[in-house]
Amino acid sequence: MSERSTRLRTSGPKRVSIATVNMLAALGIVTAIVLDLVAGRHPIELPGLLAALAGERVPGVSFILWEDRLPQAAVGVLAGAAFGASGAIFQRMLRNPLASPDVIGVGYGASAAAVTGMLLFGAQGIGLSLIACAGALAVALFIYAMADAGKHTGPRLILAGIAVAALLQALIQYLLTRADVRTAGDALRWLTGSLSASTWERAGLLAAALAILLPLLVPAAAKLRILELGDDSAAGLGLAVRPTRLGLILLGVGLTAVATAVTGPLAFVSFLAGPLALRLCGGRSNLGSAALIGALLVVAANFIASNIMPTVELPVGVVTGALGAPFLIWVLVRTNKEGT
Amino acid sequence: MALLEAQDLTLAYDAVSIVDELSLQLPAGEVTIIVGANGCGKSTLLRGLARLLKPAGGKVLLDGQDIHTRPAREVAKLLGLLPQTPVAPDGITVRELVGRGRYPHQGWFKRWNTEDEAAVERAMKLTGTTDLAERPVDELSGGQRQRVWIAMALAQETELLLLDEPTTYLDVAHQLEVLDVISELNRTRGTTVVIVLHDLNLAARYADHLVALKQGKIVAAGHPAAVVTEDMVKNVFGMPCRVIPDPVAGTPLVLPIGRHRVLRAESVLAAKGIYRTKPPEVEPESSIGAPSPVTVESSIPASTQESTQASTAPEPAAGGAAAQEPAVDSTDGQAEATPLRRAEEISEMLAFATRVVDVASVGENFKRITFAGPDLVHFGAGPAPLDLRIKLMIPPAPVHGAALLENATGPELPQEFASLRPGAWLAEDQAAGWYRRWLALPVEQRGSMRTYTVRALRPAGHRDNRGDDPEIDVDFVLHLRTEGGRLTGGPATVWAAQAQLGDDLLILGPNSALCDETYGGIEFRPGSAKRILLAGDETAAPAICSILESLPAGITGHALIEVPTTDDIQGSSTRSGVSVQWLPRGSHPHGEMLAAAVRATVAIPAAGAVVTGAEPEDVDVDETILWETATASTQPFFAWLAGEAGMIKEMRRYLVRDAGMDRKQVAFMGYWRRGKAEG
Repeated sequence: MSERSTRLRTSGPKRVSIATVNMLAALGIVTAIVLDLVAGRHPIELPGLLAALAGERVPGVSFILWEDRLPQAAVGVLAGAAFGASGAIFQRMLRNPLASPDVIGVGYGASAAAVTGMLLFGAQGIGLSLIACAGALAVALFIYAMADAGKHTGPRLILAGIAVAALLQALIQYLLTRADVRTAGDALRWLTGSLSASTWERAGLLAAALAILLPLLVPAAAKLRILELGDDSAAGLGLAVRPTRLGLILLGVGLTAVATAVTGPLAFVSFLAGPLALRLCGGRSNLGSAALIGALLVVAANFIASNIMPTVELPVGVVTGALGAPFLIWVLVRTNKEGT
Repeated sequence: MALLEAQDLTLAYDAVSIVDELSLQLPAGEVTIIVGANGCGKSTLLRGLARLLKPAGGKVLLDGQDIHTRPAREVAKLLGLLPQTPVAPDGITVRELVGRGRYPHQGWFKRWNTEDEAAVERAMKLTGTTDLAERPVDELSGGQRQRVWIAMALAQETELLLLDEPTTYLDVAHQLEVLDVISELNRTRGTTVVIVLHDLNLAARYADHLVALKQGKIVAAGHPAAVVTEDMVKNVFGMPCRVIPDPVAGTPLVLPIGRHRVLRAESVLAAKGIYRTKPPEVEPESSIGAPSPVTVESSIPASTQESTQASTAPEPAAGGAAAQEPAVDSTDGQAEATPLRRAEEISEMLAFATRVVDVASVGENFKRITFAGPDLVHFGAGPAPLDLRIKLMIPPAPVHGAALLENATGPELPQEFASLRPGAWLAEDQAAGWYRRWLALPVEQRGSMRTYTVRALRPAGHRDNRGDDPEIDVDFVLHLRTEGGRLTGGPATVWAAQAQLGDDLLILGPNSALCDETYGGIEFRPGSAKRILLAGDETAAPAICSILESLPAGITGHALIEVPTTDDIQGSSTRSGVSVQWLPRGSHPHGEMLAAAVRATVAIPAAGAVVTGAEPEDVDVDETILWETATASTQPFFAWLAGEAGMIKEMRRYLVRDAGMDRKQVAFMGYWRRGKAEG
């Protein structure tokens, strides 16, 4: 992919195995969660924490743990995994690190639908999530229909997505300027992406959706391995290219949509997770690793967001955005240098 | 064995049909190679055969069944494809990539097994990539990478393999390497192979069955030896060429003719120290240009009284002041004795006794005859040996094998020419006027004198020479018809058509000691012109080729040469920016294409060709004038026309009258007149 990754691979005599990366990522997730609990803004004493985890009612601890921190962590892990896997699917399918759903407009589809629902119909909670989901899917299908001309579908998809994203951003801005200040504030908070509204109910919904979608990553990965050899090679190997691509798009959009519906768009998570996993795995792409890295990114960002400023608790989307933007610039610069 | 065929197949992108109702059967167990010009639809055809494109009409049958009605994975177990630009995922190793070829053999419940592993090993072994197995594909060289891709297609273990330009972007060695691997696969496994290939020569070498495509239709199909012909290449690629047997494989070898850089004339190469035919050898002792007259003299048998007299004459004193004054012949009524000197010291024109040492056909209507002889050490004019004007002394009646000079019963050599031979004694006052004296001879005795120019002069010791003597090449244009069983044409043409090795011919030409580069030849004197136009028919072709070879870089313009057939296209080389256009006449009237090309090249008013505002000179070229040489001028444009007189004058009239060119800018030479062969 890059000179740098080539050098990384050739310099090291043995590559890090994917299993190791996955284990380390899982360990990192647990560490971030625990750190947040014991060393975060409202630290919980360890004995109390253990007791509360064991099911005892510890005053002042149990509520915070079970009704705030743990649902937040659960939603963070699930949404992060969904974002990460979705980004990796798009990036590998289109063979372009820029082609993550938040860049090509799918995320904006969810946002525009959600903002419309909130500001015009006063939608909230589950209703809002469903509207966001539907918006993401509708926009994704629209982009695909525009881009699918039999050949060069990948690059066309990215261009169409960027165009649609710009359109949707304009729509969002328009709605926000016309809205009442208080509801506009709510909408803006949603647009930034946050875990603060996480409840067990939402975590359960997300878990249910992912229980259906995540197992599909296994056949998706098998088909991606063939599809990434190029459309012609894939067809030569007996893969039905167009249905496969459509299926992968639906899976990726589905993952992004359900996660966005719960947390709002967490900027750049799906964009970052795939390439980071690729780097860590020594150049080999793996959807599972991307999902785990996505989850790690979100919980780590959440820890940073709630602790970096002593007085204010930042929305997690601010932190992921702050991490992602420099990475995007780096990808662009490097792509320029390679001239590809 | 899986059988693949196309039936009335039409393939189209959008509404544009690329392959048009094409039917094709791919012979099982053989290598079929599809060739054709860019954009002829050969890659599209392959994509159609590999079911990557749905037909707009007709169908592709695999074992008699429509390929599009069968499940994709089932087809993929029978038919493998290597597309033109496959994409290797980042960081993938060779073994992983080859393993992906097993995809059609896997399924939901059939995971990777030992059979897959064995297939991957076999594929890597056959392609010689086993050693690379653990290396990332993006670190490999182009040739290695292509072999890995072929290995991936092989791991699919199909009976049919389609490859789209598998040698693109590879150097020659790697191209052969890849084709060897494919050919070995065909031989060891019996795999039916279909390749789309650019390189016609490699295609001819590796194909059992060659399919030539043009505009989506099959032009020719069959064994390469039957399919690859000059006509086919001309038709399919629009490129004139020669086809010869490949000295390595025996298959047809296509040699493109092209327009600019084709044949390097010996003289141009020799100037750079490049010799084509013979390996370098030690220069013979008789160095070029300074042979001893005695050697020359004694090596030639004296044939006439004059020569005998001359050879017996004593050596002149130093400085050439003749001590003796032997009586000279009195044929032109000169009784008074004049001082005798060696011919090469006083006469610019010498007579050279030569013998034909090679006869080669350089086109259907062109013959290149090589003359050699010791006399030729005195032949030449300055450092530019190109296109020296010579006169061929054609004997009165065709005498083949009969030595002109040695045979006492043969036609008498006019005495004038015997005394003009190098080493012969010549009276000073006879150095000039030989033409008048020759004309005075009876026609049946003097034969014919024909003016030609020398295409190449190779001094003695030149590595391309057949013998030890200097050689000259003269190109003859054969304007011949057979009338009543007899060859009819100009005397030089008839002589050249029947010339055989060993024939003798007397040639009058420049004395290298006295002539310099101003010696007349083709009268190409462009002055300071930077743009030139060369136009002529086949009789001018040798001259134009010579001019092109001698042109320096920085000159631009056009050379237009009309020849009877494509076989007469000779190719030429030039360092200049002059673009060369050969116009095969075919059934068009003589000169028609040339005139049209000249008009297309020099439009009215000729932009840049003439000084605008210059008064066109209304000069009607007199019927009798056949030759007008331009003086070196300072005009930026120079035109040189030669060939059939009527045609040339017509073009000249156009350039001077219609295009408004200064007549000083136009040189024209009527080499012959229609109806009067060779003028």
